[in-house]
Amino acid sequence: MNKLLLKMVSPLMPMLQRTGVDTYQLHHILRVKLLMDDRRPNNTFAHTRKAAANGKTTNPWAVSLFTVTMGLFIGAFLVMFDAPFIGHTIYFSIFMVLISLTLITDFTTVLFDVREQFIILPRPVNDRTLAVARIMHISLYVFRLAFLQGLAGMVIVGYTDGILAVPVFLVQLVMATFLSILFVNIVYLLLMQSVSPQRFKDIISYFQIGLSVFIFAAYQILPRVINASALAKIELLSQWWAYLLPPVWIAALNEVLMHPGRSNIFTSLMAIIGITLPIAGLWLVAKVLAPGFNKRLAVVSTSDANTDAKPLIDKAEKKGRFDIVDKLANIIARDPVENAGFKITWKLAARIREFKIKVYPAFGYVPVYFVFFILNRQGSLNNRMEDVQSGYSYIALIYMSTFVLSAVLQHISYSEKFKPAWVYYALPIDKPGKILSGMYKAVISLYYLPYCAVLGIISIVVWGPDVINDVILATLAGMNYGIFMALFMVKGLPFSKPVLVKQSGGRVIISLLITFFIGAVGFGHYMLVKMKWNTAVSILIVPAFLLYLLMMYYYKRQSWESIEQEEF
Amino acid sequence: MSNTPLIQIRNLSKSYGSKLVLKNLSLDIYPGQVIGYIGPNGAGKSTTVKILTGLIPEFEGEVLVNGISMQSNPQEIKKLIGYVPENAELYEVLTPMEYLDFIGKLYNMEDEQLHSRASRLLTAFGLGNNKDDRMDTFSKGMRQKVLLISGIIHNPQIIILDEPLSGLDANAVIMIKELIMRLSQEGKTIFYCSHVMDVVEKVSDRILLINKGEIIADGTFESLKQNHADTLERVFAKLTGRDESDNETDAIINAFN
Repeated sequence: MNKLLLKMVSPLMPMLQRTGVDTYQLHHILRVKLLMDDRRPNNTFAHTRKAAANGKTTNPWAVSLFTVTMGLFIGAFLVMFDAPFIGHTIYFSIFMVLISLTLITDFTTVLFDVREQFIILPRPVNDRTLAVARIMHISLYVFRLAFLQGLAGMVIVGYTDGILAVPVFLVQLVMATFLSILFVNIVYLLLMQSVSPQRFKDIISYFQIGLSVFIFAAYQILPRVINASALAKIELLSQWWAYLLPPVWIAALNEVLMHPGRSNIFTSLMAIIGITLPIAGLWLVAKVLAPGFNKRLAVVSTSDANTDAKPLIDKAEKKGRFDIVDKLANIIARDPVENAGFKITWKLAARIREFKIKVYPAFGYVPVYFVFFILNRQGSLNNRMEDVQSGYSYIALIYMSTFVLSAVLQHISYSEKFKPAWVYYALPIDKPGKILSGMYKAVISLYYLPYCAVLGIISIVVWGPDVINDVILATLAGMNYGIFMALFMVKGLPFSKPVLVKQSGGRVIISLLITFFIGAVGFGHYMLVKMKWNTAVSILIVPAFLLYLLMMYYYKRQSWESIEQEEF
Repeated sequence: MSNTPLIQIRNLSKSYGSKLVLKNLSLDIYPGQVIGYIGPNGAGKSTTVKILTGLIPEFEGEVLVNGISMQSNPQEIKKLIGYVPENAELYEVLTPMEYLDFIGKLYNMEDEQLHSRASRLLTAFGLGNNKDDRMDTFSKGMRQKVLLISGIIHNPQIIILDEPLSGLDANAVIMIKELIMRLSQEGKTIFYCSHVMDVVEKVSDRILLINKGEIIADGTFESLKQNHADTLERVFAKLTGRDESDNETDAIINAFN
């Protein structure tokens, strides 16, 4: 595929040569960069596609196939609605969101490749060649992505609106891509203006997390929404704000050219905006935004030299947070070794980007699942909401949050940078279980309890204060579930094992059993509430807590024999 | 040795904001010399190297290499220089052959010559069996070897080595030391930056000591010894103002009490 791409740009070469670009070097820089893109582990689909997790590299064809499938999926919107505009508007909205998010998340690593400075710059490559190589690399990446994602849509449009609609659709795709590039540029610039390089990379990883949740939600919820009869009847253009949405302008192109019968002066005007604005936007990017962008980028990539960003305030702020963790650690984990395990887990979990990218999407998946449940019911949207309010689904909501806990526990022992964990093995620690229990307590107090607290508050607001005992019991049950998981499955010290290790078959069965068990407990809880045995729920809180303490006691006593050590 | 200097540095100054990193540096380096460039952390060593390799295009003063000015024609100078950077950056998803192919092509080398030279060099460095494995599985020493090869693949006139021995085992260190001598006999000019004093002492025929942006000693190891102390380590300590070393260790020992 790369050879094809390189062939595609070759007609440009003579022109570039005249402007002072060394086309021989350009060709080879592009070739190597595309090759490396293929071999780079793909961030975006790391969760949706399991394959990415156990192999270091992803097959480029598999990624392409995934993109095409995604395109097919959203392409369904094009034929879903009879009313004008809706289909195209929804299609291009999702198209643009996907392109923008993929650009931000997947391409940031490429933009911030510091190595280029040491590898290419000392060689006799002039600035223009390097700049052109960079721009062409990005363009090739973007348009390959846009093309693959739009492929299915193109076929669909050709089928429904006739062959002439295909070139129009191509123009629409290009315009949508231009607008996405403009959007991404503005986001980057705003971020770079306002935050330090380090924070910038953190924020980018949150975009990555957002993308994962978005894709997940798209798969789970969209098929349900499509059936919602209310949406199909929306007269989009009767809403004034619809005129302000960029996807509507792009959709207008198809309206004007393919269905001239039902278009009017407004539609034509919007179609004109849909063509001119993206081009003007791209011009803005090239002339105004990009130069400043490159300057800021240089600062970000050589950030180690520029740490002049108000260190005083940072220190004060950090000290404050530090104290809270310390105090909490001293209350919850008194034993010095346990205390160390607690604090190291807390800090690393909150700071290791790779861990956050893997685990944080789970926080988003739970509400998505919940919405999915609700949408699965019968009746109109309003009826369903009433149904939910009179039912007991908050119990399911809290029990589902054990999903977060299991996601954290599955990843807490693993890190790409596992080597610093040698300290655990080099120091005279008699009971590594103490570190594990500190770790578990940190996981609970950093992630699970705050999350349950938020869900609990929401439940109390929606269902009334009577549900407090249910929330507490469910939370405790989740904590017991977690420590069960930890006892049987988490045999590694925090962030001490390389990511590549596969889970053995026996573990999967244990994991299924434990999950089944928590499901059964949740169902039991649900039955209790349904039969209005509220006192029973309150009473059960006590044994649940005792069980937790008991298991914690055993967990703390884990010896070195039961710990899986990594060889260094 | 020829009388026209290969590298001429005149009144070179560089500042970051208000901080002056290099202060009016002037230097002549002749073909075939092996320069040992030493100095404490933050003295301006790597800034000098980055200016010489064209990584920092903005500076005051004049840098001429082979009569070509760095400001006006950096690309011509880069062709003459091979650079082995300190921080061991390379594209580790590539194989050594792919990487060297890429680097060689940036020097506009011919395919045939490039490939035979790359595989001969890899074999000579003991990486013959690994030349088609991806470098992400390589040890630090193996990567360092690939980095060294990528610095000499185009047979440059000037070789700038920044801490080139890091991660290499004793045999490889001996090999590199011999290689430096041989390359110098071939007429190559070598600019060797390191913190390892006894290696610098052995390989270089001229030592430059930089401190706080100024060259404070320049000469053969013999001449430096006569004026100051018996080992390069001592010379270094004395000239960079660290003669009362007892104070520091006292403070460390006292911290336990």
